[in-house]
Amino acid sequence: MTAQLHLVDTDLAEVPAGPAAQVPAQPLFGAPVYYVGADSNAISELGVEDLFAHRRRFGHRPHLTGAAGAAFIDTLEDIGLTGRGGGHFPVARKWRTVRTAGRNAVVVANGAEGEPLSGKDAALLQLRPHLVLDGLACAAEALDATDAVIWLHEGAEATRASIVHALAERRAAGLIEPQMRVVTGPARYLSGESSAIVQALSGGPALPQFRLASAATSGVNGLPTLVQNVETLARVALSAHSPEAFATSTLVTVAVPGRRVVLELDRATQLGDAIGSVLGSTPLQAILIGGYGGSWAPWVDVSDVMLAESDMRDRGLSLGAGILVPLGAGQCGLEQTASIISYLADSSARQCGPCVFGLRGVADLVRDLAEKSSGRRDLPRLQRFLAEINGRGGCHHPDGAVRMVASAVTTFAADVSAHLAGRCLHDGAAHLGQRRG
Amino acid sequence: MAEPAVNVIQRLRVDAVRCDGVGICAHLAVELVRVDSWGYPIVSRQPLSARSLRQARAAVAACPRRALFLATD
Repeated sequence: MTAQLHLVDTDLAEVPAGPAAQVPAQPLFGAPVYYVGADSNAISELGVEDLFAHRRRFGHRPHLTGAAGAAFIDTLEDIGLTGRGGGHFPVARKWRTVRTAGRNAVVVANGAEGEPLSGKDAALLQLRPHLVLDGLACAAEALDATDAVIWLHEGAEATRASIVHALAERRAAGLIEPQMRVVTGPARYLSGESSAIVQALSGGPALPQFRLASAATSGVNGLPTLVQNVETLARVALSAHSPEAFATSTLVTVAVPGRRVVLELDRATQLGDAIGSVLGSTPLQAILIGGYGGSWAPWVDVSDVMLAESDMRDRGLSLGAGILVPLGAGQCGLEQTASIISYLADSSARQCGPCVFGLRGVADLVRDLAEKSSGRRDLPRLQRFLAEINGRGGCHHPDGAVRMVASAVTTFAADVSAHLAGRCLHDGAAHLGQRRG
Repeated sequence: MAEPAVNVIQRLRVDAVRCDGVGICAHLAVELVRVDSWGYPIVSRQPLSARSLRQARAAVAACPRRALFLATD
């Protein structure tokens, strides 16, 4: 734990000199956040930042109506803030599209984290609710929105209770800000998909839809709509309080058997140091970067890659929403992959043929491969399925699944050969963690 | 609806949410549509030529799910 705190301290020390250095970068959390087992309550030694503590740290939120809103979008462009829901799309560009698309915009804080292994968004909503709400209020003002929504999963009780309480605190304090309301969608993997949120808020089911126009142009009931991840909005709030306070940190969720840890690290941190701060010197063979729809990579190839998305992209990777799943030396990557693709196939919204049938077909083939029961032609068939499915869903769910499986076949090539020959390279080895945390 | 100008690039697109894999499109637009391992259309992403535009229009008109359409860049 001290290693993580040290990295954050280093981050603070490295703020460039000059006028900008007078306000140190503010952390989102300031300490690691833990989830124990499958529990969804975020635990941090620093606890919940209530409105009083939040105002003591940041003062009053600047109001961003009119010209101040346009100026703030320029600030967002200057600091290069990108979306932290996984897409890393430039925030300023999205906001400008909404602003120019017309009146009566809708702004949505997307807190419906789909992946069971994620945790940074729930941690922010539970522990730093006022940063997220400040960010949403900033967006609503800068985009002159007539509706501001916090979109959550049904059943995410700790998260919902935190936000409802925070909204009540703000009302009691008489804050002058746009009205914000909580709306929940079904606790499904794809309820947080942008087009699913748009359809649900338009009165339809919370399912992804095929759209030619972006939500920013034509979203909820045809109105310009901003759907922004809650971490992104928390960073928007930091930037609004002081552009210099904008943190150059990255949030990652490291998922290991029995627990998940949300770390706030400088984006120049190497993967090896990030994982090492959680697992110590445990020998690893591979890592899944970017979560279930991310990519497997051999540990030796990527332990020196920095968390910065530009560095990731140079290596053909993406940090996505920041989920990192290390694979111990004794574990079978094909077994892990089979379990994940099965989950992804089950999580299909069951709307598009290539996703409903294709992902099931892929999941069955990967399961056979993991169980060493593949036929001679199954590997080419798997490759054909992956090529056929890619890019053909109404949303990007199948694309992520294809990416993950394709990267597994490459990363675990030796395991694939062994399994096809009826052997497993890890039989008899200690299985450090087949359970999902 | 007015005909688009000659130099407008059009592509055949499929709304995968609406598509039920009926497959008439693959018969009417043989140069543009093939079916995947489960019978769902894989649609060419190439700009439509004058000749393929005729095939594309026939496929769009015949789709019982109204899942096919012509999109302009």
